[in-house]
Amino acid sequence: MSKKRKRKNLLAGLGFILPFFILYTVFTIWPVIQGVYVSLHKWSLMGKVKFVGLDNYIKFLGDKKFLDALWHTTYFVLITTPLLVIMALILALFANRPNKLKKGLRICYYLPSVLSVSVAAFIAKYMFTPYRGFINGFLHFIKVLPPDRELQWLNESGLAWSAITAMTIWWTVGFSMLLYLSALQDISPQIYEAASIDGATKRQQLFSIVLPLLKPTTYLVVLLQVIACFKVFGQIYMITVGGPAGSTRPLIQYVYETAFKKNNMGYAAAMSYVLFLILVVLTIVQKTIERKGAEADEF
Amino acid sequence: MNSKAKKKPGSIVLSIISVILAAIFMTPILWSLAVSFQKEGKQINSILDWFTPPYTFQNYPDLILGSDVTKWLFNSVFIAVLTTVLTVILSAMAAYALAKIKFKGSNALYFYFLLGLMVPGEATIVPLFITANGLNLIDSYAGLVLPTIAGSMNLIIMVTFFKGLPNELLEAVQIDGGGELTAFFKVVLPLSKAVISTVCIFAFIGSWNNYLWPLLCSMSSSKFTLPIGIPTFAGTYTVDYVKPMTANMIAAVPVILIYILFERQIVEGITMSGVKG
Repeated sequence: MSKKRKRKNLLAGLGFILPFFILYTVFTIWPVIQGVYVSLHKWSLMGKVKFVGLDNYIKFLGDKKFLDALWHTTYFVLITTPLLVIMALILALFANRPNKLKKGLRICYYLPSVLSVSVAAFIAKYMFTPYRGFINGFLHFIKVLPPDRELQWLNESGLAWSAITAMTIWWTVGFSMLLYLSALQDISPQIYEAASIDGATKRQQLFSIVLPLLKPTTYLVVLLQVIACFKVFGQIYMITVGGPAGSTRPLIQYVYETAFKKNNMGYAAAMSYVLFLILVVLTIVQKTIERKGAEADEF
Repeated sequence: MNSKAKKKPGSIVLSIISVILAAIFMTPILWSLAVSFQKEGKQINSILDWFTPPYTFQNYPDLILGSDVTKWLFNSVFIAVLTTVLTVILSAMAAYALAKIKFKGSNALYFYFLLGLMVPGEATIVPLFITANGLNLIDSYAGLVLPTIAGSMNLIIMVTFFKGLPNELLEAVQIDGGGELTAFFKVVLPLSKAVISTVCIFAFIGSWNNYLWPLLCSMSSSKFTLPIGIPTFAGTYTVDYVKPMTANMIAAVPVILIYILFERQIVEGITMSGVKG
């Protein structure tokens, strides 16, 4: 390449990249760096107040509300992920059965996933509200719940968690189901044919052929789900506002309240890095597994 | 073996279970829809009362004409369209340069953009708010749009796709005396309809459903998007569900329609980005 050509390419290349480069640097990369600086200060909505060193980091280690919020987020991950993965697999197996229902089922199972978090959360909130809500009404209707009793879904910690988990599964299972579905469709029909010639029943095929072949997808689905669950905020904030008595408050809500309601941005930024660390580690694990999966595909 | 011979009682039971599950998944949406057609103040004694006539369509015009919902709807559409267009153009331009223009430093830049895939936006909201505030972007359309197009996921997807485009066509443009802009608009974009439509759908749905950032960035009701506006609205009607559910449906129906129209592309896009991400 001539020198002139090289220059021309360099200018064109940089010119094409520049607009995105600026936005990406200012809004994606810079906040990560600036966050460190903010976390070393007492910082209000109006700006920097004073340098406090690592105080913000030492403080959250002894902050019961922070530790509770971290535990709530972890608890949510632990109860929601397994249920969601199993449900996704069951739905995918149903939507993959060779009959006329196939497309209709896929559309119905995925439909809640296109709703925005506010719409989904508010439908759920009204579903679970006592007296006029759908769930208690339905339980009265099928006579499971006596007419004079109401379940206080949003005011008892255990029931509130069930409501949040049920809503989250309903609202997000579609994505994992689609991943399973595409993995199921990649299994060659010849494998099933060979198995049935050898006399394997449907059930044997499912447990000794299909499920083992879905293992890589399961790793991916579990990790993506764990990552998504650690980011939980919107639906809990709108369904229970973290209550009753803060017993369902997740980490992001505590960060949000500390920064914007209690006006302590420095402390909130420091706590954010705990979440940051958890998510970066999980993302690295996920990318590694994906790469291994892609390499295995090539052979 | 034809499919009729395979139908056994077990298979029918499974079909019935699968349909019941589909009904359960649809129930909350159908219930909300039914509530939105009820008259305000109706006496609800049994769950069936939510579904029985008399129906009214009046709630929709009432809300669209007489509340901020229309403003929020406009904001949501405006921001989603702007986000989609800017995401596609800016990411595609940068992706084209990284994939097809040979220049010093392009590998380093690609690596720099890869780092962005690791950054969880949820964990940087506080400094992002401070940055946006410093640039006077809080409570403005620019503030609502610009940070959401700064992620590098779409860029990486496009780089992978553009690398697969044949170089011969681009060289032909240069032989004809065309510059990089001609190559980009006349060759690359028309050949990339598949990847661009995927990115468009995701950018649009992502923006439409975005919650955390608009919650922080929009301060006045005139800048709210539907996801931010609806909860404030619903809070004032705690006894009667009719108005909040109607507002909910106004926010939900457009995405449901987009989903049903583009079901195939959306499903393909999700599996592509999820599996090959």
